[in-house]
Amino acid sequence: MGIDVGSVSTNLVLIDPEGELYLSPLYLRTQGQPIAVVQQGLALMEERLSSEDRICGAGTTGSARSLAGVLVGADIVKNEITSHAVAALREVPGVRTVIEIGGQDSKIIILRNGIVVDFAMNTVCAAGTGSFLDQQANRLNLSIEDFGDIALDAKNPVRIAGRCTVFAESDMVHKQQMGYALSDIVAGLCEALVRNYLNNIGKGMDINPPVIFQGGVAANAGICAAFQEALQTEIIIPRHFDVMGAFGAALLARDHIVEQDGKTKFRGFGVTSLEFQNTSFICQKCPNACEIIEIKQEKDILARWGDRCGRWTVVEAEAKDSQPVKA
Amino acid sequence: MVKIGIPRALFYYYYYPLWRAFFNSLGLEVILSPQTNKAILDDGIKTTLSEACLPVKVFFGHAMAVAEQVDYLFVPRITRVEPKAYICPKFMGLPDMLRARLQNLPVLIDTVVDAGREGDSIQCWEDCFQEVGSIFTRDKQLVDSSIKAALQAQGQFKKRLNEGMLLPQALEDIDVAEVAAALQPHLTLKIGLIGHPYNLYDPYISMNLIKKLYTLGVSVVTPESLTDNEIEDKSNKLPKRLFWTLGKRMIGSALNFYQNRRLDGLIYLTSFGCGPEALVEEMVARWAKQRDDLPLMMLTIDEHTGEAGMLTRLEAFTEMIKRRHKV
Repeated sequence: MGIDVGSVSTNLVLIDPEGELYLSPLYLRTQGQPIAVVQQGLALMEERLSSEDRICGAGTTGSARSLAGVLVGADIVKNEITSHAVAALREVPGVRTVIEIGGQDSKIIILRNGIVVDFAMNTVCAAGTGSFLDQQANRLNLSIEDFGDIALDAKNPVRIAGRCTVFAESDMVHKQQMGYALSDIVAGLCEALVRNYLNNIGKGMDINPPVIFQGGVAANAGICAAFQEALQTEIIIPRHFDVMGAFGAALLARDHIVEQDGKTKFRGFGVTSLEFQNTSFICQKCPNACEIIEIKQEKDILARWGDRCGRWTVVEAEAKDSQPVKA
Repeated sequence: MVKIGIPRALFYYYYYPLWRAFFNSLGLEVILSPQTNKAILDDGIKTTLSEACLPVKVFFGHAMAVAEQVDYLFVPRITRVEPKAYICPKFMGLPDMLRARLQNLPVLIDTVVDAGREGDSIQCWEDCFQEVGSIFTRDKQLVDSSIKAALQAQGQFKKRLNEGMLLPQALEDIDVAEVAAALQPHLTLKIGLIGHPYNLYDPYISMNLIKKLYTLGVSVVTPESLTDNEIEDKSNKLPKRLFWTLGKRMIGSALNFYQNRRLDGLIYLTSFGCGPEALVEEMVARWAKQRDDLPLMMLTIDEHTGEAGMLTRLEAFTEMIKRRHKV
């Protein structure tokens, strides 16, 4: 099982021992509640499993990977770059460029001969990510699902400043007021996002085919067409483009278990019915005043983090050996 | 006893042994501000203009932290420490910035350090100290012997660095955990860490970068381990001489690291808004592209950088190198 808990979506994927997808993946909205969404996802998964099914390993990734890892008892907790790269390689073995655009972040991964040789992630700015498109679609009164297809109808995409979302937005409003066709504005936005991506994240990278495009935004046909146009190469959208992180985490968990010939630390589906509390407090031991996050299962502390000195984090190591929960 | 305050920031990382020995030998008490913490950073950010880079903001916080406990604050106006190259203009203006932004400062010693002619890199400090010494004593012999002691201490400091000792140890600020970690046998990778010492060795600014790398199994070499000659040799190969002393150290270190066959990768830590770095960083990135075998990762830090983002990048980077080695 692979679980990818990102800022916008949380995905759960099951694979069989051969690495093929088992049942359909789950795509849920995180909505700022990573613990609840992981529990919800597990509960939904459990309903669909038969009594013969058994989870032999679990891996987590995404920005809440540590939290999710503690909750479910993950065998591996991996960063998003590695997870996405592993999944992309599985889908297109010779892949040399992975473009990934998610809700709040975007990345590029350059591979040669099946090895990651370079990567970049967006820094503090979320310009050119899914949430930007979401907002603009909202402003244009379009549903995000239709957004991409409308772009394909464009005859003459207008040029929209893509450097910064604030500029893009005022530029777009201006173009609307001037009376440009909706489809041309939408296509212009797609091009702006792609330009922004290639100039920031893709800066200085050797983007060679095969190019794979994954992450939630890959559902957007307009963006895909704009990438195709800008890079002058075919863009491959993998089957499970929106759950590639979770897919990668599942593959990594499988490899880990096989390599170590080990038993999984997965705590079982019982965790769905447990009460978890996450609290935070400010440590007063020094002027750093770190905010410590504490995850509790009933009375037991599962994990703590957030401190710079490691005074509190120690618990995490002990928690790793926590016992499986009976369903 | 008369107390001299030294902010634990910027030039502290280059010249503290020199300054400490001089003042101690004059019979003055040196008071160093504490390690950077949240309060220091917050104070610095509140008092400085937003254009200042993070290290300057931190410097302000340190100056404020020590100001009330001392009679004098030592902030020399360092313009040149070698002929034909300059110190960063923001750093030259430190005394002016302090006076403009802070009230109730102790007496500011802002003696000029300016090496105009060949061979002046030691003379410039002797001149500075003659002037500073005259503030406290009329005993010329005492000043002369204090200068001698200072230069000796600085020589010793440089020698320790060249022998491979990490900066905090060489400064005698020994962080035991770091030293112990450095000796652990699990360190499988060696990475060249490029960056200014006031960023790399301030655990708060760098978010414990060096310690984080240790826990990922990576040992580091930093520009401080190179001699001035090694840096000068390499940076002289450029078609045009770089006229920033500190930027030249970055270029020279990068070129030295590229020749070092025992390194597995390079990480370049820069601070957002650094003028000279905008140029230097780009040059280093371009050289990196010509070297397929030595991956480079750029990390930019600013006051709002999240620790999770940095950890994800470090994990992905080391993972990438390890997987490469496996093939």
